[in-house]
Amino acid sequence: MQLTRRNFFKFMGATGASVAVLPSSAQAWQSKAPPDPYGCLVDLTRCNGCRKCEDACSTVNELPPPIKDVCDCTVFEKKRRPDENAFTVVNRYFSGKLDELDKPLPVFVKIQCMHCQDPACVSACIVGALTKKENGAVHYDVSKCIGCRYCMVACPFEIPAYEYHDPITPRVRKCTFCFDRISKDGGLPGCATICPVEAITFGKRNTLLELAKKRIKDNPGKYVDHVYGEKEVGGTSWLYVSSLPFSKLNFPQLPEKPSPKLSETIQHSLFSYLWSPILLFGLLGGIMYKSKKKNDNPQDKGGA
Amino acid sequence: MIKKIIFYSGFMILVAALSMAQVWKAPDQEKAKERAKERVKFIKDYKDEDNILRKIALIEKGISLDDVKNNYFLLDSPIIKEREDHYGPVRFAHKRHAALINDCTECHHYRPKDESMLETTRCSACHQDSFNADHPERIGLKAAFHQQCTECHQEEQNGPVTCTGCHLKNVPDHKDLVKLADNSDAFQVTAECLRCHDQAGEDMLKTAHWNWRGPSPYTVKHRKDVQHGKGTTALNNY
Ligand code: SF4
Ligand code: SF4
Ligand code: SF4
Repeated sequence: MQLTRRNFFKFMGATGASVAVLPSSAQAWQSKAPPDPYGCLVDLTRCNGCRKCEDACSTVNELPPPIKDVCDCTVFEKKRRPDENAFTVVNRYFSGKLDELDKPLPVFVKIQCMHCQDPACVSACIVGALTKKENGAVHYDVSKCIGCRYCMVACPFEIPAYEYHDPITPRVRKCTFCFDRISKDGGLPGCATICPVEAITFGKRNTLLELAKKRIKDNPGKYVDHVYGEKEVGGTSWLYVSSLPFSKLNFPQLPEKPSPKLSETIQHSLFSYLWSPILLFGLLGGIMYKSKKKNDNPQDKGGA
Repeated sequence: MIKKIIFYSGFMILVAALSMAQVWKAPDQEKAKERAKERVKFIKDYKDEDNILRKIALIEKGISLDDVKNNYFLLDSPIIKEREDHYGPVRFAHKRHAALINDCTECHHYRPKDESMLETTRCSACHQDSFNADHPERIGLKAAFHQQCTECHQEEQNGPVTCTGCHLKNVPDHKDLVKLADNSDAFQVTAECLRCHDQAGEDMLKTAHWNWRGPSPYTVKHRKDVQHGKGTTALNNY
């Protein structure tokens, strides 16, 4: 059998248990990024802030309809974040330039999960509820999730949200990259399909990267020379090109190293200190028990 | 029950009468509708020439406004509608745009590489489904329309730039949206409409239909009213 890269990883996974006894310095961190994932290229110079992508996303994911203000313009007054009811939101920034009517020129930014190539959320997940799929999607399996929310801490883009309002079956919620849709032949993400100006281009990440660089090369005055997501945290399936520097558009400035290392550290330290929460809750329990005893008496007298 | 039977039989007769009658249809509109449905073969290769050279080429070939045959097109391509269908067709006044801009190359920016083909092909020959993996740089028809129209309208500060400036929204099927009890009265029906269309209700209060006041000597029992009107004494003022 020819040992391809992918087979090699499978093999490694299967024998993971036996490898675990090796000293940790022996297992140098290895990228598990799929070689030819899908992605989306978001061209901020094209986006006109119509928020149709928000509509489409909530329809295909059966989420509540996006907020509608009296006028769309007031929606943009606050910067919004994706949450458990909206996997994608569009925010408005101002470029500092004026248009023909001397009105400030806006730049609209659609945000959602970046579907990192080596996702921190996946490596932080201790039960494998989050996985990076071959087609690029970072997929969440609610049946495995134990609700620890490490993914939320680990994500460098602060994407995963949690259904805190739901005490029985809370889920972690984030853009699915329309996994079911794009898994079908010719299937497209809801947001990319509806966008009237093709501000979102869906395709193979490698093709999109070339396309992004070509757009920048053909229009050097229009774009800043940076494809956001090409290198950030080891690369993301979603890529952005823009007319303004990304630092002005609230994109986090991130290292080129994938973040799984960080999340693994968080995990390990949490586990090694596992005894401390037990001690803490024990202590709190004791205090509560004592104060409850004290409070019980006057209430009994009052006959409440 | 009897009432229902009479109503439905009346309704059936009306439908039959309507379908028998020759309904007049505007021939140009029918032609535009037919054309809007057409799909043409995808043009893979285009001649990548400079805009100035292209303008010169058109002048040399003697292509001018006189060659614009169609007054207008309906933009309603199945290429777009099979993906998403939220809006009605756009009526694009081709001849007017041609006369106003007087430069075919504004929109017909490239020509097919195959010299035997028409100099100015339709948009949907080169721009078809979005995200064609073989031609990643080629935008789809929907984006081609929106980028071209909106950008120019914005630059020229002329022409609509909002969705409903060009399209009518498809009316959603109200069968499941309207929630009414079987014997709802007029007030309940109006309230149900207003549940979603409250702005339409507000607007109605500003129209002449609501605000008109005056004598109505031929209305039974209101012959002497000088302030008669929908907002005052008329029967259906809910
Ligand atoms: S953006 Fe956050 S949630 Fe999305 S794949 Fe990357 S780490 Fe995970
Ligand atoms: S890819 Fe799908 S889930 Fe993600 S933002 Fe687009 S429509 Fe929403
Ligand atoms: S649908 Fe497209 S143009 Fe509209 S807000 Fe979303 S990304 Fe921007």
